[in-house]
Amino acid sequence: MVILQAQGLDYRYTSGMSFTFPDLVVNAGEKVLIMGPSGSGKSTFLNLVSGALRLQSGALELSGNHYKGLTSSALDRIRADHLGVIFQTLNLIPYLSGYDNAALGVRFSNIRQSRVIDTRAEIHRLAASLGLTHAQLNAKASQLSVGQQQRIAVIRALLGHPELILADEPTSALDPVSTDQFMQELLSSFDPTTQAIVLVSHNPALTHFFDRVIAFEGLHHA
Amino acid sequence: MLDLAFASIRARRLPVALVTIALTAAMVLLLSIERIQTATQQGFNQSLSGVDLIIGPRSSGIELVLYTTFHLGRPTNNITTKTLEAIGKRPEIDWLVPIALGDNHRGFRVVATTPDYFQHIQYAGNQALRFQAGRAFAAINEVVIGSTVAKELGYTLGSRLFITHGASATMGQAHDDVAFQVVGVLDATGTPNDQAVFVDLRGYELIHLGWQSGTRAFRIDGLDLASIPQERLQPTTVTAAYVGLKSKLGVFQFMRDIQAYPEEAISAIIPGLALAELWSIVGMVDRVFEFLSWMIIAISLIAMMTMTITSLDQRTREMTILRAVGASPWHLSILVMMESLVLGLGAIIAAIALVTLSTWLAADWIQTQLGIAAEISWLTVDECKTLAVILLAGLASSLLPAMMVFRRNLQQGLLQ
Repeated sequence: MVILQAQGLDYRYTSGMSFTFPDLVVNAGEKVLIMGPSGSGKSTFLNLVSGALRLQSGALELSGNHYKGLTSSALDRIRADHLGVIFQTLNLIPYLSGYDNAALGVRFSNIRQSRVIDTRAEIHRLAASLGLTHAQLNAKASQLSVGQQQRIAVIRALLGHPELILADEPTSALDPVSTDQFMQELLSSFDPTTQAIVLVSHNPALTHFFDRVIAFEGLHHA
Repeated sequence: MLDLAFASIRARRLPVALVTIALTAAMVLLLSIERIQTATQQGFNQSLSGVDLIIGPRSSGIELVLYTTFHLGRPTNNITTKTLEAIGKRPEIDWLVPIALGDNHRGFRVVATTPDYFQHIQYAGNQALRFQAGRAFAAINEVVIGSTVAKELGYTLGSRLFITHGASATMGQAHDDVAFQVVGVLDATGTPNDQAVFVDLRGYELIHLGWQSGTRAFRIDGLDLASIPQERLQPTTVTAAYVGLKSKLGVFQFMRDIQAYPEEAISAIIPGLALAELWSIVGMVDRVFEFLSWMIIAISLIAMMTMTITSLDQRTREMTILRAVGASPWHLSILVMMESLVLGLGAIIAAIALVTLSTWLAADWIQTQLGIAAEISWLTVDECKTLAVILLAGLASSLLPAMMVFRRNLQQGLLQ
């Protein structure tokens, strides 16, 4: 089952900077690592896939939804329904509890909400598999450690089974031991029959966790 | 969405609370001014009815109506009974009730008048004064008391009381030569009548016999009341007189005639007109306050807008996270507006509660100070309109920050 397909993607900023991206097909169960130095267009690619930037040329398809010609609100819809996003840091709204932050994952999508019969039970199940306690779930986000915050972000991204998990340097703030543990937990929590993971990093130590590594290098033209 | 708005407000509770307090205070000011004014005006206007004219010494109409009917201020001059008798014989006159003021009983004003007072003086749209017990005074040592006097001093029919010279309870010397007996208690009216002690003009004259310039010249203890010649008990001056005319049509001509009365400097005023004149003066002050209240509301709303815009920079991350989980720029704009709405509604609810409390306290104060029952209504349609305008203004003031959020999030990528 094809989750993500990109073909002939180009993006040109008004500043003149432009990127050309390699063609890509990601199937269910696949774990793809995108590597590249700063300025290689990794963030632009993620913004295109997440629908935050509108498509200029080429084709992009997520779970059968073609991005071409879609309005930004239609792209918001696709993001809500089919995508789980994990940021580098500061993943959580500081004044909400860990639990409430995690529950945001199904808040804006009826499709994802309908896949979760009991939101509370599902969040607690995912929290247990990621080694989070009840107390940590109920604590204010601002009181959690970086590692705990990243785990809450994983629950949020996985909740309601979105087809694609998109992660941007999720381990950059973690030490090597925590990084290994986090990666193992993340990769064991997702459902390989229906979901895929695309993770962006410039940490070569992560390569062994992935099926495929795509290098974004020297792709930018001034 | 609403739970997010509440959570976000709670996270910024100090600035939000301060802005809400400012907004609430401005609304309380606006609403109480309006309410207290309307209620007082109504109370004053209902205090005297059935009286076409008040005749008194030459003075401003406002002054005359305030001291004769509302115990406010002091009479500056008297008019002679000789003049009143002459006027009373004029063909336009239906009835004429003289009153003499100046004494009190334990702080309650003494109104010396004739038994006709209870027949002709009305209140609240032609309601007659009624006795809850007893009858009008007939003998010169009998008094009728208002309902508040009866309640506060615990007087009933048959109670005996002395009258103090002067209008204040503590300053004057008691006219303790003659004890008066309560023969009637009036029903509560919500007018200054409730706080008055009514005595026969002859009785009033009697206690002033032997007094000169407010001090005792000689005592008349043990005097047999019946032995005093009736003509000695006829007062030569009174404070004013309430007048009813046979026809309302001639009222202005009659007023001009009184104004031009050759033997004495007197005037006649229409109580309703004098009060209207008073309200137009009070109304100007009220309008200034009302204008200031609106200004404070505007300032509070600008403060609210400033607070919201300032907070947006701190909330960039929060907005990005909400975008990442699928919130559209619309959602974020609505969130910002909802927060303003919650804040505005909170301020309105607090304002209604405080205004209700403050007008209730004010009504109580007016009741004890002036004896006027100020009717306090629950939210009026006009007040609801005012509050709706404020809420809409609050919502409108959140449009700018909401638009800023919308534009910023439409242009900005999720990941840097």
